Parts: sequence; structure tokens; C-alpha cells
Amino acid sequence: MSDYKGILVVGEIYDGKIRPVTFQLVSKARELADTLNTTLSVVLLGHNIGDMAREPIYYGADKVYVMDDQIFEPYVAEVYSRALTKFIGNLKPEIVLIPATHTGREYGPRISAALETGMTADCTDLVIKNGRFVQVRPAYGGNIMGEIITPNHRPQISTVRPNVFKTREPDRSRTGEIVQVKPEFDSMKVRTFIKEIVKTTVTGAKKLDEAKIIVSGGRGVGSKEGFEKLRELADLLGGAVGASRVAVDLGWMPKSAQVGQSGITVQPDLYIACGISGTIQHIVGMKDSKVIVAINKDPNAPIFNIADYGIVGDLHEVIPIFIEEIKKIKKK
Amino acid sequence: MNILVLVKQVPDTSDVKFDERGVMIREGVQSILNVFDQFALEEALRLRQKYGGEVSVMTLAPEQAKTAVQKCLALGADKAYHISDKAFGGSDTLATSYALSLAIRKAGNFDLIMAGNQATDGDTGHIGPQVAEWLGIPHVSYVEQVLSIENGRATVKSILEDGYRIVDVELPALFACLPPTNFEYTNPSMSGIIKAKSKPYTWWKADDIDGDKSKFGLNGSPTRVLKMYPPPKRSRGTVFTGDYHDAVKKIIEALMEKKVIE
Amino acid sequence: MLDFTFTEEQEMIRESVREFAQKKIAPIALEMEKTRQIPEDIIKGMADLGLIAPTVSPEYGGQGFDAVTAGIIAEELARADVTGSIPVFYLVQASWGHIFDKYGTEEAKREVLPNVTKGKWFLGIATTESDAGSDVAGTRTTIRKEGDHYVVNGEKMYISGVREAYTRGGGHITIAKQNPELGTRGMTLFYLPLQSKGIIPTYVDDLGREGISTGGFTIDNVVIPKHYIIGEENRGFYIVHEGYEYARGLISVICAGAGLQSLERGKKYLKERKAFGQPLAKFEALQFRLAEHYTKLSFLRLGAYWALWTYDQEAKGKATRFEVSKAIAMAKMFASEWSNAAIDEVMQWQGAFGYTRECPDQAAWRAIRSFAWAEGSKEIMRVIVSRELLGKEYISYK
Repeated sequence: MSDYKGILVVGEIYDGKIRPVTFQLVSKARELADTLNTTLSVVLLGHNIGDMAREPIYYGADKVYVMDDQIFEPYVAEVYSRALTKFIGNLKPEIVLIPATHTGREYGPRISAALETGMTADCTDLVIKNGRFVQVRPAYGGNIMGEIITPNHRPQISTVRPNVFKTREPDRSRTGEIVQVKPEFDSMKVRTFIKEIVKTTVTGAKKLDEAKIIVSGGRGVGSKEGFEKLRELADLLGGAVGASRVAVDLGWMPKSAQVGQSGITVQPDLYIACGISGTIQHIVGMKDSKVIVAINKDPNAPIFNIADYGIVGDLHEVIPIFIEEIKKIKKK
Repeated sequence: MNILVLVKQVPDTSDVKFDERGVMIREGVQSILNVFDQFALEEALRLRQKYGGEVSVMTLAPEQAKTAVQKCLALGADKAYHISDKAFGGSDTLATSYALSLAIRKAGNFDLIMAGNQATDGDTGHIGPQVAEWLGIPHVSYVEQVLSIENGRATVKSILEDGYRIVDVELPALFACLPPTNFEYTNPSMSGIIKAKSKPYTWWKADDIDGDKSKFGLNGSPTRVLKMYPPPKRSRGTVFTGDYHDAVKKIIEALMEKKVIE
Repeated sequence: MLDFTFTEEQEMIRESVREFAQKKIAPIALEMEKTRQIPEDIIKGMADLGLIAPTVSPEYGGQGFDAVTAGIIAEELARADVTGSIPVFYLVQASWGHIFDKYGTEEAKREVLPNVTKGKWFLGIATTESDAGSDVAGTRTTIRKEGDHYVVNGEKMYISGVREAYTRGGGHITIAKQNPELGTRGMTLFYLPLQSKGIIPTYVDDLGREGISTGGFTIDNVVIPKHYIIGEENRGFYIVHEGYEYARGLISVICAGAGLQSLERGKKYLKERKAFGQPLAKFEALQFRLAEHYTKLSFLRLGAYWALWTYDQEAKGKATRFEVSKAIAMAKMFASEWSNAAIDEVMQWQGAFGYTRECPDQAAWRAIRSFAWAEGSKEIMRVIVSRELLGKEYISYK
């Protein structure tokens, strides 16, 4: 076990760019590496990676391993998991962090099985307690938090959802080592083949996980048209529109706008919840927003228990007042 | 087409509550078939209808999970494998997927293995990919639909955060399935429930599956739960009940003061 | 042996019906009182699950369910449909489907029952007339044999599902006098398709369970083929009682289920609603009412399942006709009264809202009230029980 040293973050390249979650993981891993007094590496898989490889260093990486090969484009789980298994097996890091994206959650568990080591999914916090790496994660739809350790196996692998950790300010003067690695495979036979990749995200919705302000609606919005007013307020504030699961299930908003357990996790500066009662499944996806404002008819709605400010009332009356007031201020 | 569906019984998470010490309050909590698994099963049954063959279901769980398996049979699965033994107690996903992969090898040759993308209790999404790895077969996660099966290959639609991929995979393969929004789950019919009783139901103990027993159960689980606790609560803030204009003004003022809006 | 558990299968049946009923029926229940019909997709959903006349044998499209299992379905439907419309739609067809299956001719069963279980046709019961309700012997409708067929004349009133059978197809198991001089021993039961030539329907405006029609029809020289006779000629009076007993058993479960479900809603309300600075649930006076009604309805529920179980015992030769009659009558005697009292209490807790049409409990109250007379009035239940206790010679009427 003592052979295993250092922290490795598996970076993800998506649509020709490094995914923001990579930098979030690097930022967090930097803290952990400092506490453990160890090195932080990042591995990037892709094709024509070029100068991108420098970026993780700005966020705190000491070393970036680059596996540049056309076999990695487009992404396929069995190829990534095989290449990473071999690489991690050779590198022997004590901790591996993998983004809990749809892709990371696909290839990641295969690595843990291949290396026969422990893996903890969707961590919401990673801490060092008495020298031990403790992984915090929700279970049972966010009703309970668990602290998980991997005492006798290495590496200790965690996946972390996007937007759980904050990105550090990049330091472009920071230097580090870039190491090209030739990918190794036990078997080269690839049985998976990507026929087509289709992007369906509607405009404006994609920026939801990057938005500083989110206006989100639930059952109380009442209709697809009802979301227009929410969008107006969001546009006015320079924010994005989100939705609860109910609003998505009812077809008022696309799945990509869903905030919560089965949707995406957001951490904006301001989250305005309109007509959202606040089921635990929704709350886990937005509770780390800096400020939460809730508007709901039902004074007993659980959303009020976590909101910094609440208005008991009909959102169809309150939202227009919000819009009107914001407009007044903008004029000034 | 020989299809195996991996299923799990889970507590209905909408009912689940925990006490201050992080112990689950079992009273009034219903056990249900994991909905992701039910979707995988319904997709498998649809494939059987189209391509013929047999659909088996398998679970690794205590005896009481039989009700969830019976539901699968009532919905139309042809036979069931239930692996149950104290030796599997305390298994994490690695130990569970290892034991499942051994049981799958014993149960026979499957062209296709389907599973829910995740279970609503643990929510790890590990089992599908890990089983595929143990078996050395390819897999795809977030599968919303199996589009076609031809010449020993399957074409599936797999959901991405911002779209989807059409993936073509050599069989045998494993698909971890994710129901589309608004998926209408089938209720078992009365005749399905009656027929389920006479369908083959195989029980296996740890001794019935060949493999490294040191990898079973708690001993074979690299991860340990250190502690469980209720999620930290945000405290209740100011809730306005009176005049909307007044409330909105006060909130905007506060937001500006906190510099969350400019 | 005393065992109050349902079988594993029965539990699965309950779960499946509950999921379907809570997901599909509960949200649209009040809507049915406006549209005055059960939505087609609900009927189709019920048929697909095998919930329409599941008491019919599998060879005619049913499930061959016994009375207890039929009761489980009735309870879950009653818990979901506060208007009582679907429970009535269900119980009538389950009861009379069972009778048709037991006493109908092979030819008629092949013709009618698969269409009923598929949800295409409606199968009802027509005994009541304007002047003959509980007193079936007062029936005026007549049936006479003419060569190889029968001719029916008369009028039926306060019949459930008239519009359903008249428009969808199907008909009613009908009673008429064949040999009036023989009194109750001269009555014959037969299947009467409501789309027959000579049938003219009429409708009444019911106080509740408005998703299913109530009405009547005149029967003017309607010709019935021989194979539509249910059981033997002149045995109708006895067979009809058997069917009514089945229906009464199901009604008792429905009353218990609807009342207990109302208490569930009430319980939630007591916990949420605050008065004088604390939740209503903290007031002991209300706690006691909840406890009393819950206890009564739980006993009613047990009694109702016991009565249905007794019915099933008769089929196995382990109970007599009289034991069944008594058990069923005991189960139904207080069913609507106790259920109505509990629902009334829940309406009271909700104050002004409880008196609005938005409140689901008022719909349940109106529906349950019908079971004080439907399929045998609560007074008749007392007659039956006292007759079984004291002996036939003490019947106070002829």
C-alpha cells in the first residue's frame, strides 16, 4: 500500500475542450495534496490535445500526463477504462478523482473492478481526517449522508459531480511538468463503435450549471407558458432558467434544465425557486447556492426551511413585481 | 435472444427518513422494485417480443427481495435467479458485482445483460459497468433504448448531458438503462401475477457459485462506511407573508447588499 | 387455524391495483362527476390489468378470482375513486359476472363474458322496479315462453349502468315473473341485451357516484333466445339472492376502504392544520374521534373480508348458504353508516372547505350514502340476521 503515492485527477476533454469539472477537481485535489504533502497529477486522454495540456497546471496540477491518440476520439468506455486501468496500475496513485459525468460514471466503475479496489460515487465532499481520505456522499435520494473510506486498498477512487467543488482562480504563471504517455492496452480489440453524436440541448439551458443566477420553476408554475415569465426575470438578471423534476415530467421544461438528484447540481450565487415545494431530491441539487429565495403558495412548503428569503404567495403575482422592481433599479 | 436483467429491491426513497444518529426509520417504508431496473426489464421484454428468446432476471439480495423478483415474473420475465446468503452481507459494489458476475457465468450464456443505470437507494451506478468488466464484455451506460439487434451487434441510444449518442456494440454486452422522461411503467396484470407463481425460480447460496470466496461480502469489500448522518440543514430565513410589493423590495435590497445582484 | 394474512399473490394483486388506481384513477376522480362517465383509457387500463369481472373463469377472459381476492380489488378502487363510480362499475360486473359464469349457458358465456372482461360491454343487474326494490317478489315484469324463445314485457328502474350497456353494448341480468301464481318460485333470471329492439332507456339524476349512470328502461315485447336464461326457469329468485350477497360483500369492503382512505386524508389534515397555536392533531377531542372511527372501520373491514371468505368457503362445501347470508348481512348492516360517519367527521375537521365540491370527502360521503339501500337496504340486513338467529317462522312479513 505504501507504494501508492500522490493524487491523480482524470481530466475530461469534451467537444474539444477540457470540461470545467476537471478544474473543479484539480482545485479540490490541490487542497488535499497540500494537506497530505504529496503531488497532484492530471491525466488527459484525447486526440490533438496540444496546448490544452497546460491548463490543469494553472489550477494547481504538478504534472500532466497526456495520452494523445486517435483511438480516444470519439470517447468509448471500454477504450478509456482499459487505457486508464493500465496507466493507473503503473502510476500507483493513492487517490484517483474522476468526474461524475455521464462518461466518467460509465468508464470509472470498470477501472475499480479491473484494479479490484474501492470506489465511491458522486462525492459531495472529500476531506482528510487523521491522515485518512474520507469521501462524503449522499444516499437514499439525499436523505442521508455517508462517510466512506477505503482502508486497505489502493488507489482510493472517487467520482465527483460537476459544480460540487469551486474552481480556484487560475494562476497562469504556475509551472509544471507535461509528460506524454503512450497508451497501453491489454487487448486492442474494440467492440464498441460510435455511430452518431447528437446535441439536443436548447439554447440557454446549457449554461445552467455555469449560471450565477438561476430562476427555477416547479409545479406551481402551472404550464409551459408559465415559464416565459421566469425566463423574462432570468434574462433581466443575466441568469438561466431551471426546473424541478415535476415541471420536467409534465413536459414544461427539457430534461437538461432539471435541477436535483436525477438532474444536475447547481451552485449559483442566487437561486430563485418559484412554485417548487422543495422535495429532498430537489434540495440536494441546489442547497449549496449562496442565497436562496423561495416563492410558494404553501406556507408549509419545505423549501422555506432552506430559503434565506421567502414569500408566501402566488408566483404569478410575485414574479411580475420582481420584474418591475428590477427594471426600476436598472433604469437608475 | 437470451437476455438477463439484473434487478434490485430498494426502499421507496420518497418515504425514507433517518433519525438523528443516521439510522433508517423502517416503519412505513415500502420496499419496491428499483424503477430503473423495471425500465430495463420492460425494455428486455420489448426486445423479446421483437426478436424472440427468453428473459431471465437475477438478484443478489436477502430472501425478502423475492417480492420484487416476483413482480418481474408477473411483468413477463420467464425465470428468476435469486442469490442469497449471509456470506454476501455487507457487500459493497465491488463485492456485489463480483458475485453477480460469477452467478451470471453459472446461469448460462446470455446475449444481452440489462440493468438499471443505478438504484435509487445507493445511487452509485457502479454495478452495471463493474459486472461488464468482471465478465470482460463491453457495456454502455445511460441507455434509453435498444434500437436494433442484428448480426450479433446491438445499436443503442445512450443519453449524454447535452444530447445523446447512437452506439453500436458487439454482443454479448451489458446495457445500463435509464428510463426516458414520462416513461409509463407497466403494472403487473392479474393473469401475470397468477402465472408468475409457476415460473422457474432458482435459489443459489454462496457455495453454489464458483469463485474466490474471500471476495464475497464485507471481507471482499474495499470500502467501509465510517458513519451516516442526516444532511446538514440550512436554517430558515425570513419569510414574508404580507404585501408582495413590500416583500419584493426588501428582498431585492438584501440581495443587492449581499452583492448577488447588481 | 386463525390467520389474518393474505397470500403472497393477493398482496401482489393489491399492490398492482393500488399503483394503477392511485396513479390513474385518483387524480381524475372528481372530474368524472362533471363528465358523467368513466374515461375510456381507465376502462381499457382496467381491462388490460384484468380488473373487469375478474371473478369470471379464465376460459371466458376472467381470472377465476375468489370473493376475497375480488374484495381486495374493490377496496383499492374505493380508496382511489372518491366518487365511488369505478367501484360501482367494478362491483356490479364482478358480482354478476360471477353469477353469469356459474349459472349461464355455455353459448351465452362465450358470447357475452369475453366482451365484458375486455371492457367492451357492460354487464349489470336489473331487478328493481318502481314498486319493487328489496321486495323482489313485487316484480311486475313478465317473461313468457313462445316456441324456442322468450318474450319479455315490463319496466325496470334504479338500475346501475344503463347508459353504459345501452351505448357500449352488453346488458343486464334481469328478473321477471314467468309463473306469477307461484310467487317467488315462479321467477326467471335471464340476460337482456340493452341494445335489443324494444328497449327504451330513461335516466335519473343521482346524488353521487356520478361517473356511472343510473336509470331504467321499458321492455316492450323484447325477444330473448333460450340460451340467455340464467340457471333454470323459475329459479331466478334464489340465484339473484346469491348474486346480491356477492355484491353486498364487495360493498362492505368498499365502504370500509373509502372510509379508511378518508380518515387517511383527515389524519394528514389534522397534523398540518393549526388552530389556537397548535396542530389540530394535538386536540384530544379530535384524536379520540379519529381513534374511534378508525377502530370501527377496521372492524368493518375485517368483517367484510370474513364475509367474503365465508362465501368462498361455501364453494368448498365448508359453509352453508345460511351461514353465508348471515355473514354477508352482518358485514353490510353498518357498512355505509359507519363509513359515512367517519367521512362526515373528516368533512367537519375541514370546516368550510369540507362543504365545498373541491373537497374529495364530500364526494365519498355522497357515494357511500347510496350503499345504505343499494343491493339490499340496511333494514333488510337486519331482517336476514334476525331470521337466521330466530328461525324462519319468526319472519314478520310474508
